[in-house]
Amino acid sequence: MPIAKTLHQAKRQISAKPWKQIDVILISAVAAISVLGCLMIYSASRSRLGELGISKTYFLERQIGFVIIGFVLMGIVMSVDYRKMRDVSPFLYVGVIAMLVLVLSPIGSSVNGTQGWFNLPGGFGLQPSEFSKFFLIIILASYIAANEQFHLGALFKTLVIAAVPIGLVLLQPDLGTAMVLCAILIGMLSVAGTKGRYLLVMMLFAVVGVVGVLQLGVLKEYQVERLTGFINPSHDTQGITYNLDQSKTTIGNGGFSGKGLFKGEQTNLSYVPEQHTDFIFTAIGEELGFIGSATVLVLLGIIAWRIWRISRAAPDAAGTLICIGVVSMFVFHVFENVGMTMGIMPITGIPLPFVSYGGSAILLMFMSIGLVNNIYMHRFE
Amino acid sequence: MTDQLREKRIGIVGVVIIAIFLTLISRLWYLQVATGEELALQATSNRVRVIQEEAPRGRILDINGNVIVDNRITKSIVIDRVQLSNEKRKKEVIKKLSKVLNIDSKVVESRIADQRISPYKPVPVAIDVPFDRIQYIKERQNEFTGVDAVPLPVRRYPNGNLAAHLVGYVGEINDEELSTRKDDYQLGETIGKSGIELAYENYLRGEPSIKKVEIDVKGRVLRQISYKEPVPGNDLILSIDIGLQQVAETSLARQIEITRSVQDTSDKTKFTKFKAPGGSVVMVDPNNGFVKALASFPTFNPAEFVDGIPTPIWEELNDPKNAFPLNNRAVQGLYAPASTFKMVTAIAGNNTGIITPYSTFNDTGSLKVSDREFKNAGKKANGVINLSSALTVSSDTFFYNIGSKLWSLQYKQKPGGDAIQDTAREFGFGSVTGLPIGNESKGRIPDEEWKQKVHDENPEAFPYAQWLPGDNVNTSVGQGDTLVTPIQLAMAYSTFANGGVLYQPQLVSEIRESESKKVVKKIKPIPIRTIEMSESLVNSMKDGFTGVISNEKGTARNAFLSFPTNIPVAGKTGTAEVSGKQDTSLFVGFTPIKKPNFVAVAIVEEAGFGAGTAAPIVKRTFEGVYGLPVTDVIFAAPPGGID
Repeated sequence: MPIAKTLHQAKRQISAKPWKQIDVILISAVAAISVLGCLMIYSASRSRLGELGISKTYFLERQIGFVIIGFVLMGIVMSVDYRKMRDVSPFLYVGVIAMLVLVLSPIGSSVNGTQGWFNLPGGFGLQPSEFSKFFLIIILASYIAANEQFHLGALFKTLVIAAVPIGLVLLQPDLGTAMVLCAILIGMLSVAGTKGRYLLVMMLFAVVGVVGVLQLGVLKEYQVERLTGFINPSHDTQGITYNLDQSKTTIGNGGFSGKGLFKGEQTNLSYVPEQHTDFIFTAIGEELGFIGSATVLVLLGIIAWRIWRISRAAPDAAGTLICIGVVSMFVFHVFENVGMTMGIMPITGIPLPFVSYGGSAILLMFMSIGLVNNIYMHRFE
Repeated sequence: MTDQLREKRIGIVGVVIIAIFLTLISRLWYLQVATGEELALQATSNRVRVIQEEAPRGRILDINGNVIVDNRITKSIVIDRVQLSNEKRKKEVIKKLSKVLNIDSKVVESRIADQRISPYKPVPVAIDVPFDRIQYIKERQNEFTGVDAVPLPVRRYPNGNLAAHLVGYVGEINDEELSTRKDDYQLGETIGKSGIELAYENYLRGEPSIKKVEIDVKGRVLRQISYKEPVPGNDLILSIDIGLQQVAETSLARQIEITRSVQDTSDKTKFTKFKAPGGSVVMVDPNNGFVKALASFPTFNPAEFVDGIPTPIWEELNDPKNAFPLNNRAVQGLYAPASTFKMVTAIAGNNTGIITPYSTFNDTGSLKVSDREFKNAGKKANGVINLSSALTVSSDTFFYNIGSKLWSLQYKQKPGGDAIQDTAREFGFGSVTGLPIGNESKGRIPDEEWKQKVHDENPEAFPYAQWLPGDNVNTSVGQGDTLVTPIQLAMAYSTFANGGVLYQPQLVSEIRESESKKVVKKIKPIPIRTIEMSESLVNSMKDGFTGVISNEKGTARNAFLSFPTNIPVAGKTGTAEVSGKQDTSLFVGFTPIKKPNFVAVAIVEEAGFGAGTAAPIVKRTFEGVYGLPVTDVIFAAPPGGID
């Protein structure tokens, strides 16, 4: 089979230069959505900042900085063969647990009632729970891939491994991140070959768990209200559902073609809370309309598609599982974030990938894309 | 884990991802395209608030430009609810504020709890706040979040109670007014509640300023989108002369005071004084129907309504013991006209040929009609009299005769039988005169049809359905079931005085723009109809009315003894019997006699002879008209004790 042999040889040749194997479409989509994100952060924050007498480009400048650092971090993650990361995963696990414990101690600090930040010099905050997503993906992928037969014992152990960081994140309490971690776990377990009924049971547990958290009073009252506001829109008139109404109204105000960049009336009047972070999609909706919002969703969809595609091209099971973990995380972020602004998901503090303002989240996403590209670069090995 | 299973699972993940993105896109389409318009509309109403502020209310001036009502600027305390949205803080501030202002905290609470007032409009909680209180609050502004002192224009009454019934009062608009007024009224606004303030609300109110502002999510005003300047309300120039109004009011009050100290000699059983609980005076210009003065007693202070009337005062004003000071007796009060009605009977008798201006009649002191004997007041026989002297001495028999003969015509179904009723209606009795204030009463001119109707409605209380001769005889002297209002009586005598033109009474002579003084509307006299009266009839009657005052036998002679004889004055007294009450005292006067410029009516309840109480009131009022010193008359009894 001379042709096959030649092809094989060709592959070998190409694989010799992994840097030429990166997924250009994926990187381009990420770059495009990041630029759009910066623009919308500026649009959503400038009037509020102006009101406070702060430079209108404050958040824009910082976000540009985060994106640049993000690209650098992505490059670093791509340059270290993911299989090496897989090999040190037990140490990564210990590191993650340590960080999540530390942040609960007085060293960490609290924002909006969630004990989840390390304050860094320069007014920056580091959110270990964000990075725990990245490391949990590697750790779970390594552990699952190491088990040739994914039997019940292995499933149980996997659950225990995941339960510790999820539990710690819930203690902050950061329900949003805990939900993302659950989504990652379920996504990876399903591709690991867990029986359908076990997956169903787990999903049931996740739902019961969320309800339990709400009932047990781990969350502050306002957090509970925020989460349940979308179920009972008439429950309160001025508080949480008010925000939700404003969010929907703002998106609806954009109509088909939008009010135009920087021309969103609701956006300029700061109607939507947290509009440059969690509710950035409302600014896109109002100013860019259906055309713009759909474009953003398509760009995010392209990213998801590329990651999913790479999961099938991965050279080993760990690579595939990592990609599935990343895509689960990514799509859950998009679904939860965009869904909440449109009133079909509960309101939790989950950022829109590459668009919402926020250092830790941006860096996490770039690192995750780096990891996926890393796998793609080694696909012929 | 088999590759096959993994591939399948990866496929499922892909399907889930596609499903998620499709869900998001559909929801997006639903929000932005399917219901986008609705949400866009919501977004606009969300951001834009309309703040409406009242324009300065128009002034009310008298015919000479003297101020009756204008506005003053008072310091009021308002609460901005947007600033004071924190519930705990709100409670603290209200507690402190009510202590400083010495008002009930519940009042403050209920005012700021009113969700119907625009939340962007500060709510006034107190007016006329002393300066030291304002200073106290201003110095501790951080303790009084959202509390501010702002100037607020309120109604000012420089002459106190003067013309209270005429001008009426203003108050905060209530729910009912809010729903019936089609205009852009808002809760918390001032609106005319009675009198001219109510009748001319549309002119006095002006146009409110309209400010459109954009607000942010916390309700803070960000910028002004548009501003429409207020248009101040128009000034009203009344036909009232405050000098005459003053004289009319003081005369009314003074004579009532005197009468209340006089014994009612008609009560033979015990010593009783006249109660004289209330009365009224109306003075009009008979040549155009414009009202010169209009007084009602007892009266009230319109200034007490400025900041919402305090409940105890309101209860006092509505307590029957106090004879209902808010009622405008001049237009609402219903009285039997008694002998003042003889003017109508005289004309009816002349027009049907029963009498002529000069025909004579032998007054024997009583007249037998059917089987009943109708007597003169005091049973006095006046001998041979004509129309003129019948009016002067107020012979009842003379007019009974007319009433009786007209009844016969009715009975024979000959034309003219209803002449008294028809004439009365022509002169405006039995229907409203059209004065725009005071919720006017219609009065009643009884006739065959009316009697049948009340009998049908209540056969037990009114057993007779037939119009009997006695009914017509009673009506001929303004007794029985006849009821008139003071304004009707004034307009009827004006019609006689001007030679036969019935005018609609009016109060406002001119409407002007408040700043430019430009005349918006010049009010013209409104003639309703002209009544034919022969000159000889008018002259004969005028002689009779003149005699009432200047003839020795004139019923009001004693009342006018102190009035200069060189000033020609004429009039007619009336003393109405009211079942279960003391007599009503009535008097109508006009001056000068040949071509009268003033017609004045005074009616006082439970005050005895017309000459005793009402005539002195008109006399004093005419003294005012001619710039003479006003003098009291101590209950002038008519000669011979009759009316």
